[in-house]
Amino acid sequence: MRVSQCAFVWISRLLASAIILVLLLTTTHCKTEQSATSPAKYLRWVGDSEFDAALDDSAFALCQGDQKAIQYFNDGRGMEYEGEKPALDRAFWEGYKPVESKESGLIRIRFIVNCKGETGRFRVMEMEKDYAETSFDSEIVDQLLRITKALDGWVVKRDRDDEPTDYYQYLIFKIEKGALKEILP
Amino acid sequence: MKIALTFFALCIGASVLAQPNCQAFLYYGDTLKYEACEKAKECKGHYQFSKEYQQALDAALEIDSTFGPAYESKSTAYLKSGDFLTWKRLIDKAVYYNEEESLGYRGWCRYQFFRDYQGAIDDIERLDGLVDHDIGYGANGDYHLHMARAICYKALGQKEKALEIMEMQLAQPDNHVGLYDYLHLGVVYLELDDPDKAAEALEKQIEHNDLAEAHFYLARCFEARGDWEQTMLHLEEAKRLYAQQRRMADGYMHYDDKVYLQDILEAQAAVSNAK
Repeated sequence: MRVSQCAFVWISRLLASAIILVLLLTTTHCKTEQSATSPAKYLRWVGDSEFDAALDDSAFALCQGDQKAIQYFNDGRGMEYEGEKPALDRAFWEGYKPVESKESGLIRIRFIVNCKGETGRFRVMEMEKDYAETSFDSEIVDQLLRITKALDGWVVKRDRDDEPTDYYQYLIFKIEKGALKEILP
Repeated sequence: MKIALTFFALCIGASVLAQPNCQAFLYYGDTLKYEACEKAKECKGHYQFSKEYQQALDAALEIDSTFGPAYESKSTAYLKSGDFLTWKRLIDKAVYYNEEESLGYRGWCRYQFFRDYQGAIDDIERLDGLVDHDIGYGANGDYHLHMARAICYKALGQKEKALEIMEMQLAQPDNHVGLYDYLHLGVVYLELDDPDKAAEALEKQIEHNDLAEAHFYLARCFEARGDWEQTMLHLEEAKRLYAQQRRMADGYMHYDDKVYLQDILEAQAAVSNAK
């Protein structure tokens, strides 16, 4: 009797330890899996671009400072360009020369249009067709960037107080084997 | 789940008033998701692009990294800023953890923002195969997802396939005709060299939602028939409606088959020269 009682206690303790161990392991595992997002450093808004002396023209100025620039769609009017999209597209259809390349994907050029219709803070992002980050042939990117920087028909947008305002705009270029296929938005 | 959808409505627009029902997670015994859901509510009142909005959702994901709705809500600002890399990483997680609820959204966004026609088709068709109910509309409500799928097929040059899907969707007894459905149908018929069927569809468009684009393409139907008078009449009507802002519009992106003033003026000049 005594022996079976001891065995019972021993087995119970073993079982309890096993349960605790399983619980511990589960908690730890969950905690490890729970760090879904590493701590992120956010600027004011997603997509904001701080001045970078290595990239940006110091002569380009935001009229209302970094904290007030809106997005091109915030006023509900979407992308606005003199002559509308056909005029903007023409600059690229006429200015871009297809590059002999197997590269296909999207290239985004994001920039700011200030309250005078001037542009600056150009930032480039590139992806292959499967949304993997990539770097296109510089001849492709340089052409698109040059033409984008030369665009001078951006409509000045106004804020809620009807004051001219700065806004973020982007253009996305769909490239297929070095040829320009579509311009968004 | 319906709870997740209610949550999206709350956070994707800062001003949406719907209250999320995180309690449902408790009902189903998922306390972790309940806590994450409650935490994610702290994004309410913040602009979706803002640091505060993103941080609230990050905090929710720290509680439960499998809480799919938080990934989808985070992704929207990146989508609208044109950041296809971060958007895709986030929306893929949303789809992974919440497939039925996020797949249609991902498919729509692939089309609307990145003109990823094949990707949109794949997502919409996958969703269609997963569920036995109506797969619903794109995020802005302008198109049923099947119509969006049809437009994607058209963009890929598969016009007959596009036509088949459009006709099928429009024939559904409970279908709500979208703002531009008949317009796109008319354009497909035009591109398939059937100006009579095109005109029929475009007349329906005019009756349903009179637009500059409808008259522009109707003018082309008359041009194909050699009726110059009607061609010019409809081009003039297109110009008039355009000036009144009665035209296809989306706050983020241009729509397929959209027409601009320059297109109308060039068409008028071409017809004048051809007469």
